[in-house]
Amino acid sequence: MERRQALWVIYVSLGVALMTMLLPLPMEWRILRPDFVALALFYWVLALPHRVGVATAFGVGIAQDLIEGAPLGISCFGLMLATLVLLFSYQRVRQFDGLQQSLVMLALMMLSSGIEGWMRTGVDVPTLPLMGLLGFAISMLCWIPTRHMCRQLRRHYEVV
Amino acid sequence: MLFFFRDDPRVSAVQRGAIDGVAFATSLVLAPLDAWDRLSNVFQSRSSLQEEVRRLQQENRVLKGQSQRLASLLSENARYKALLNSARDIGDDLIAAQITSLSPDPARHIVMLDKGVNDGVAEGQPVLGAEGLIGQVTFSGNRNSRAVLITDSAHALPVQVNRSGLRAIAEGSGSIDRLVIRHLPATTDIRVGDLLVTSGLGGRFPHGYPVARVTEVIVLEGDAFATVFAAPSSLLDRGRYVLVVMWGDLQREATL
Repeated sequence: MERRQALWVIYVSLGVALMTMLLPLPMEWRILRPDFVALALFYWVLALPHRVGVATAFGVGIAQDLIEGAPLGISCFGLMLATLVLLFSYQRVRQFDGLQQSLVMLALMMLSSGIEGWMRTGVDVPTLPLMGLLGFAISMLCWIPTRHMCRQLRRHYEVV
Repeated sequence: MLFFFRDDPRVSAVQRGAIDGVAFATSLVLAPLDAWDRLSNVFQSRSSLQEEVRRLQQENRVLKGQSQRLASLLSENARYKALLNSARDIGDDLIAAQITSLSPDPARHIVMLDKGVNDGVAEGQPVLGAEGLIGQVTFSGNRNSRAVLITDSAHALPVQVNRSGLRAIAEGSGSIDRLVIRHLPATTDIRVGDLLVTSGLGGRFPHGYPVARVTEVIVLEGDAFATVFAAPSSLLDRGRYVLVVMWGDLQREATL
């Protein structure tokens, strides 16, 4: 008999990543918060592209907007597009070493928030100031720890 | 899809419903910190408590003294208004609320309040800090609500210079200690140190709450307009306790 898939691990880890958005930070420091949500999402897309894809990215985007109080769906399209790019290239990205992967994640995060920025401009919602680039750099540095944690989870619960 | 339906009532119903969920999740995340706060409160020393009581008593005495004059001024004001035959100001009811969290979105100044529809908080109601206006409620769930601060760069409010009665629009600048007034004629009488109060125009905010103090007036040679910067009277990133003004449609109609 086939063993039941521990797919809940994926959703729980994404939930925990969303929870990190709620950690309190001083007002001017929020910009430095690493984007664990996108990183966790990209990890699962990279590891299990047949389980986590554009639909999950949509759900994560909705959850993120609800938490931020932004217009609903404004971060979905960027995340979905970045996920799609990763889905097309996951085999190549898997071969990269840590630094190269971090750079890919940086590009993906900038892609998704760039598109979010366009959408925000379209509905007159304020966009990130230039300091936001620093936030991306910090998120990039968090890729390797995130990957490590998610990988441990995936191996421990044998999610495939 | 959602982009085109962003103003649909069903979409905002989802957003409203999510507020309570988000607030609950936040309280879960903050639970350890809260517990620590409570623990340190329990062990606060007797002398520091006594000190605080003394300080509060002093402050209370001063405030009481000031409010004695306020009562007579209010009645005097009412008499003048009656003489002028103008609409009477209705005393505003206040709800005390606490800021529970900040929105994680770094581009915005949105806070979560711990009072919602069940407590009488409705969308559009002004939020006051200790020293003046700090924002307005944008979404209210059943037990929690979201408020946007006046410094959010998507926010602007009608103000009036207290000294001269000059009306203007103060826009949020996206930085927490600064409001901007643009498009004032360069010859306008506005000075550093002027107090800006809500003008009551537009009907969103009641008249007369302090908003900000002018910090800088920039007039470039040959420019037709001056740019004025002002610092909010309340420190928007300090303090957790705020007041929501019960300023519903009823009161609005009465004053208009």
